[in-house]
Amino acid sequence: MSSLDKSFTGCEPLNLLLEEAALNGARREERYPEKTFFGFMCSYMPEELVLAAGMEPLRLLPTSIQGAPAELPAYCCSLAKGNLSLAKSGSFKNLAGVGFAHTCDTMQCLGGIWKEAIDRNNTLFIVPPVILNAPGAARYYYVEAKNLLARLGELAGREPGDEDLQNALELNRKIRGLAKELDELRPQLPSHLVSALLRAGQVMPRREYAATLERVLPFLKQKAAGPGNRHPVLVSGPVLENDSLFGMVEELGGRVVADDTCTGYRHYVEPQIPGTGNDPLKAIISRYIEMPICPSRNRGLETRMDYLERLAKERRARAAIIIVRKYCDPHAWDSVPVAKRLRAAGLQVLVLELEGAEAGGQERTRLQAFLESL
Amino acid sequence: MSEQRRYKQLASTRALKKTMTRYYALSSYHRFWGKPLRRPLAWVTSGAPVELLRSFNIHPVYPEQYGAICSTNKATAGLCQVAEAAGYSQDLCSYATSHIGSVMQPALAPMNGLPKPDLLLACNNICGTVLKWYEALARHFNIPLFVVDTPFLPDQLTDHARAYVLEQLKDITASLERLTGRRLDREKLAECVALSNEVVTLWKEIREFCRARPSPLNGPDLFIHMAPIVVLRGTRQAVNYYRILRDEVQKRVEQGVSAIEGEKIRLVWDNIAIWSNLFKFFKMFSERGACFVTDTYTGGWVMELAPGDPMESLATTYTSIFLNRSPEFRARQIIDLVKEYNADGFVMHSNRSCKPYSLVQEVIRKRVMQETGVPGLVVEADMADPRSYAEEPVRNRVQAFLETLS
Ligand code: SF4
Ligand code: SF4
Repeated sequence: MSSLDKSFTGCEPLNLLLEEAALNGARREERYPEKTFFGFMCSYMPEELVLAAGMEPLRLLPTSIQGAPAELPAYCCSLAKGNLSLAKSGSFKNLAGVGFAHTCDTMQCLGGIWKEAIDRNNTLFIVPPVILNAPGAARYYYVEAKNLLARLGELAGREPGDEDLQNALELNRKIRGLAKELDELRPQLPSHLVSALLRAGQVMPRREYAATLERVLPFLKQKAAGPGNRHPVLVSGPVLENDSLFGMVEELGGRVVADDTCTGYRHYVEPQIPGTGNDPLKAIISRYIEMPICPSRNRGLETRMDYLERLAKERRARAAIIIVRKYCDPHAWDSVPVAKRLRAAGLQVLVLELEGAEAGGQERTRLQAFLESL
Repeated sequence: MSEQRRYKQLASTRALKKTMTRYYALSSYHRFWGKPLRRPLAWVTSGAPVELLRSFNIHPVYPEQYGAICSTNKATAGLCQVAEAAGYSQDLCSYATSHIGSVMQPALAPMNGLPKPDLLLACNNICGTVLKWYEALARHFNIPLFVVDTPFLPDQLTDHARAYVLEQLKDITASLERLTGRRLDREKLAECVALSNEVVTLWKEIREFCRARPSPLNGPDLFIHMAPIVVLRGTRQAVNYYRILRDEVQKRVEQGVSAIEGEKIRLVWDNIAIWSNLFKFFKMFSERGACFVTDTYTGGWVMELAPGDPMESLATTYTSIFLNRSPEFRARQIIDLVKEYNADGFVMHSNRSCKPYSLVQEVIRKRVMQETGVPGLVVEADMADPRSYAEEPVRNRVQAFLETLS
C-alpha cells in the first residue's frame, strides 16, 4: 500500500491487516498452516457456504498484469488472464478447490477453462439468477446454493448442517457490521487505508479478520481526522487487487467517501432483509439477492443507478470516478447510464479505463486534471 | 458482388430474397398496420422464445440479424462510432454498438434503422451482452423490457433451472396478456411451436445433406440462407422457404453437384461469420478447394422443441442451446461434426465481439485436435466491425494452414 501518515503507525492489529492486504493471500500456508482455503472470484459466491463446510474463502486476485495465458485471447480482462496465469504457475495448487459464481461472460468462460486446464475435479459452480427479482429466482438460487453446499461438503469431507450455516451467517454478519463501521469512517480516513482493510477481509481467515478488525476500529476512530479540503469522491468499479488508485486519489487531493467496488464495500453491504424464518440457508441467499447489484445482474432497470445516486448524496460526494477494466463488458456497459445519472444529480464524473487495478501515467494525468477541475 | 459468382448460386436465393424483402417491408411499414390490427412490434434477441410472442400476434424484429445487414452494407464502423461518441466502448459487441448507433442516428443506417419497438424481449441464453444492450434500449425508448433468464449450464439442464425458466415464461405470458389485451391462445402457441419444429427439421435435413462428398453447400451458403430461420421461426413462410431450399440441395446431392469447384478439403467452421468480408474471406478457402461443410453457428438453430406442453418445451429448449453450455459440451459438438462430416480440419473465428463464443475456443481447439487428430486454425477478427479485420495476417495464416492440409 502506498504511504500512510505516520500517525497510523504503532497499532499492531492494523499492521497485521495491512500486511494481509499487501499479501493478497500469498504465504497463506505458512501463516495459517491449519486452515484449508477455497478460492473464489466474485462476490456472488456465498462465502457462508464455504465457511460452513469448514474452509476459508479466499478471493483470488492477480498480482499485477500477468503474461497472457495461451488459453485466453488478448481481448479478455486482466482479472481472468491474471488469475489463470497464477493458477498455471501453481500458485493455487494448495487450494481445496475453486468456486465460480456465474457473473459475466468472461467468468462463465473462465470457469469452463479452469475445469479443462487447471482442475477437473475441484472446480465448482454456482449459477445465481441474473434477474434477481424474477419470479422463482429465490427458489432457484436456494437449490443452487444447496447443491453447492453439498459439493463443498464432499470436498471438505464433512456434511455441513444448519448449525454450521448459522455460525457462518453470524460470523459474516459480524464482519459486515464491522465493515460498515469502517465504511462510515471513510470521510475521515485515508482512502487507500480503508480499501486495504476491506480487501484484507477477503484474503485471510474470517474469524481472525473479524477479531483483528474489531481491535483496530477504536484506534481508527481515535485517529479519524476531518477530510479538510479534500474533494469527496465516489468510486464505482470492478475487482481491484491493490490500492493504487485509491492512493492516487488521495495524493491528488481527493478522498474516497463512497465505495462501490467489487472488492470494496459492495462486498460487505448488509441490506435490510425481511424475515427469513429460521432457515439459515434462506437467510444467506436472501442477502445475496438483496445486496447492491453489480452490472452483471438486474433487479429492475434503475436499481443500480438509484443506489449509486443515493450513496453519493448520503456521503456528499461531489464527484464520481467510474472504473472500467479493459475488456470488462458489464462495467463498460453500465458506465454510460451511471455516468449519465450521476451527472444529472450534479456530480462531476470521470470514466477511467484501466488495464488492471494500477493507474498508469496517462490515467494519472486524467485523474489529476479531473480532481483539479473540481 | 463479382466475388459472389465464384460460388454456384443457389436458385433458391431468389426465393430467399423475396422472403426476406417481404419480411423487412412488412416490418418497415408496421407503423401503418400494427396499431389498427393491434399487433405490437418487439425487438427480440436471436435466442429468445419467439413462439410465445407470435402466439400473441406480436411482430418480432431482430437487431442481431440487422447487425449482420449493417455489416454487409459497410455501415457498421460508422454506426459504432456514433455509439462510441456516446460513451460505449469499442470493445463491446459490435452488433450491440452498431445497433445502438443506428437508433441514435438512423440516417446512417440501412433502411434508416429498424422500425421502433413497442416492447423488448431478451433471453440471456446467448450472452450477458443482450441484457445490458436491451437495458440500454429500454431506457432509451422507455418501453417494457422482458427478460428470460436462462441459467448457464455448467453441466446438464437441472430441474430447478427448468422450473425457474418456466415460471418466468408464465409470468411474461401474464404481462403479455395485459399488454395486448388478449388471453394466451394455447392452440396458437402449439401451432407456432409446431411450425418452428418443421423449420428446424428442414434446416437439419439441409445441413445433413452436406455430409455428402462433394458437399452441396459451403459455409457462406449456410450463413446466407439461415436468415429466415432466425427472423421467421414459427411461421408458414419459413417452412415454405426451407422446403424450396431443401429440394434444391437434395437435387444437388443426387446429381453430385458441389458447392465449390473441385472440393479437396473439408472444414468445420466455429463462430459467427465475418460479415464485413464474407465472400472475400471464404474465397481464400474455396479457391484452394477447401469447403466449409458445416459449422456450429448456423447449427445453433437446429433446436427441436420437445413434444408435450409447449411452454415446458420452450423452457427446456431455450435453456439448453449450445452457447449456454460448457466448453466440454461444445468441444463434443465439434468433435461430432468433424466425424459425421468427414472433415479434414476446422477453423475457429476468434471473434472479439462475442466473448462467450470465443474465450473458450482455445481449450476446445486442443480437445478437438486431441480427439479427432485433425488440425484447427484460429483467426482473430470481428463478426461485424471491419476495423478489427487485418487482411494480411489472416491471409498468411490461412495459407499456411491450407498448405498443411493439402
Ligand atoms: S466483471 Fe469484468 S472484470 Fe470482472 S471478471 Fe467479468 S469481465 Fe472481468
Ligand atoms: S454476438 Fe455474442 S455478445 Fe454479441 S449479442 Fe451475439 S451472442 Fe451476444
